[in-house]
Amino acid sequence: MNVVRQLGNGVFSMNGREWSLLVACLVAIVIFSVASPHYATSGNAATVLRNSVELLLIGLGMTLLLAMGGIDVSIGIVMGLAAIAIGRVLGAGGNPLLALIAGPLVGALLGCVTATVVVIGRVPAIVGTLGLLGVYRTAVFVLLGGQWLSGLPSSLTEVLATSVLGVPVPALAITIAYLAVWLALRRTPYGLHLLAIGNSEEKARLSGIPVIKIRFMTFVVSGVLTGIAAMFYVATYRNVEMTIGSTLALDAIAAVILGGTSILGGRCSLIGTVLGVLLLRILQNGLLLIGVPSLWQPVVTGVLIIGVLGFEAVCNRLPLGRFQRARA
Amino acid sequence: MTEPFLVARNIAKRFGALTALANVDLEIRSGEVLALLGDNGAGKSTFIKILAGAHPPSDGELVIEGNPVAFHSPKDAAASGIATIFQELALSENLSIAENVFLGRELKRSILGIPFLKRKEMRQRVDGLLKELDAHISDPEAPVGSLSGGQRQAVAICRALNLNARLVIMDEPTAALAVAETRKVLALTRRLAARGCAVVLISHNISEVFEVADRIVVFRRGRKVAERLAAETHHEEVVSLITGAHPDVRALEKTN
Ligand SMILES: Nc1ncnc2c1ncn2[C@@H]1O[C@H](COP(=O)(O)OP(=O)(O)OP(=O)(O)O)[C@@H](O)[C@H]1O
Ligand SMILES: [Mg+2]
Repeated sequence: MNVVRQLGNGVFSMNGREWSLLVACLVAIVIFSVASPHYATSGNAATVLRNSVELLLIGLGMTLLLAMGGIDVSIGIVMGLAAIAIGRVLGAGGNPLLALIAGPLVGALLGCVTATVVVIGRVPAIVGTLGLLGVYRTAVFVLLGGQWLSGLPSSLTEVLATSVLGVPVPALAITIAYLAVWLALRRTPYGLHLLAIGNSEEKARLSGIPVIKIRFMTFVVSGVLTGIAAMFYVATYRNVEMTIGSTLALDAIAAVILGGTSILGGRCSLIGTVLGVLLLRILQNGLLLIGVPSLWQPVVTGVLIIGVLGFEAVCNRLPLGRFQRARA
Repeated sequence: MTEPFLVARNIAKRFGALTALANVDLEIRSGEVLALLGDNGAGKSTFIKILAGAHPPSDGELVIEGNPVAFHSPKDAAASGIATIFQELALSENLSIAENVFLGRELKRSILGIPFLKRKEMRQRVDGLLKELDAHISDPEAPVGSLSGGQRQAVAICRALNLNARLVIMDEPTAALAVAETRKVLALTRRLAARGCAVVLISHNISEVFEVADRIVVFRRGRKVAERLAAETHHEEVVSLITGAHPDVRALEKTN
C-alpha cells in the first residue's frame, strides 16, 4: 500500500495552467447553460463525455509524441484504418474478442510504419506523418470502396457499452490508460528519456539514452492507444464513414497544446491534456447547441491553437523563463 | 611500465570532405592526468568524442586494457568505464539536477517487471556528490535550465563522478568557472588520478595545465604534433608547439 501511495504521489496534482483550464470549462458550461435551454441536461453531459472518449485516448499518445519533440498529423486516419479493420471483423460475424484485438493490433502496426518513416528513415515527423496522411486517406477510400461500413453487428457494443461495478467501460479504459501513461512518464526511466529527447536529441544521445528505441516505442504506443480509441468508436457508432477521423489530429494537437504541453518538446502535462480535451469538446458541443453550424468547429479549434501558441510566445519573452514553469 | 588503460591507434575522423583527425596514436594511463592542447578546431573535442562513443572513428582502433573495443554509442563507452564531460555539457535543461546526474543509468526497482525509478536513493546520492564537490547548489530538484554556467559544469562533473569511471574525460571543464571553482576542479583531477583513475583534460589555459598534468599532448590541424612529460617541458615550448612555431612541428608539417 505504501508503495502504491509513493508511486501515485502527484498523479492528479495541478498547476496554474491546469486550474485555469478547469475554470474555463466551468465558465463555458455556465455560459452555454444560460444561452441554451437544451444545454444543462444530463443527456447532454453524457454526450459530451461520450464524444471525448476517442480524443482522450489519442490525446494521451499525442502528449507523449509532442513531449518527445515529435508529432503525428495522420493519427485521425490511423484510427479510421483501425476502425475499418474492426468493422470488417465484426461484419464477417467475427468474435467480438477478435475485434478487440484487431484495433490495438492495427494501431501498433501503423505505429511501426510511422516510426519506420520518422525514426529509422529520419524524415522530420511533421513531414513524414503528413506524407502518411495522404497515403492513409486513399487507403481508407480504397478499403471502403466509396461506401460507408454501416449497420455493423452490436456484438462489440454489447461488450464495451457495459459497466464494471457501476463504472462504464470507456471510463475505466481511459482511467487505466491515463494511470499507465502517467506512471511511465513520471515514475520510470522511459519518462525521463522521453523528456530528455524532447529537450535535445543530441544531448540525450550523448547522455547514453537509446534515442531510437525510445522514439520508436513512443510512436507504437500512440498507435496502440489510437487502436483502442477505434474500438470505442466502432462500438458506439456501429458504422465507419468515409471522412472518419479527418479532424481528430487537429483536435488532439489543439487539446494537448491547450493543456500546457510544449510544441517544441521537453515539457508536458497529462492532466492538462485531459482538461484540454474536455474544454474543446464542451466548446464544440455548446456552440452547436446555441446554433453555430458544425462547419465552424475546426475554426474554433484552429483559433484556439493559434491563440495559445501566440500567448505562450509572448509570455516566453517575459522574465521568469520557461524552465521555472517547466517542472510544474 | 604498466599497460596503458586505453590505446588509440591511427585514429582518423572525416566529416564528409573535412578531415578533422588523421593518424592519431595515443596512450592513456591510469593514475595519470593527460592534458590535450591545441588551437580552436585542432580536433580535440572530436578525438574525445570518439573515446566517448559519440562518434565512430573513420579509421583506426581503440584498445582498452589489451582488448580492442568498438563503441556504438556513449552507453557502450560508459559501460567500459569511460565518463565524459562534453564541452557542450550535454545536460537536459528541462530535467532536474538529480535526474541529469543519473540520466541514462537510473537507479530502479522492478515491480511486476516494470522498472520504477528509485527517486529517493538517487536524490540522496546526488546530495552527497554535490556536498563532496562543495558545489553551491541548494536544491537538487531544480531544473538544470535555471542554473548558472558554473553550476551546470558542477552538475556535469557530478554526472561523471557518479559513474565511478576508470577514465574521466573533461573537455574544457573550467571554461565557465570562477577562480575558486577552477581550483576545486583542478584539485579534483589530481584526486581522481591519485585514486588510480585515468584523466584526460582539455584546456586552453596553459598554466592550469602545468599545475595538474603529468603529460601534455598537442593537437594541430587534426594531427598529434607533440607529446611531452610536463616535467620535461615548459610554458614557451608548449605555446610554440600549439602555434606551430616550434621546429619539430615545422619539420613535421613540411614532410606532410
Ligand atoms: N559534427 C561535425 N560535423 C562536421 N564537422 C565537424 C563536426 N564536429 C567538428 N567538426 C569540425 O572538426 C574540426 C575539429 O573540431 P573540434 O571541435 O574537434 O575542435 P577543438 O579542438 O575541440 O576546438 P575548440 O578548442 O574550439 O573546442 C573543426 O574544423 C570542426 O568544424
Ligand atoms: Mg572543443
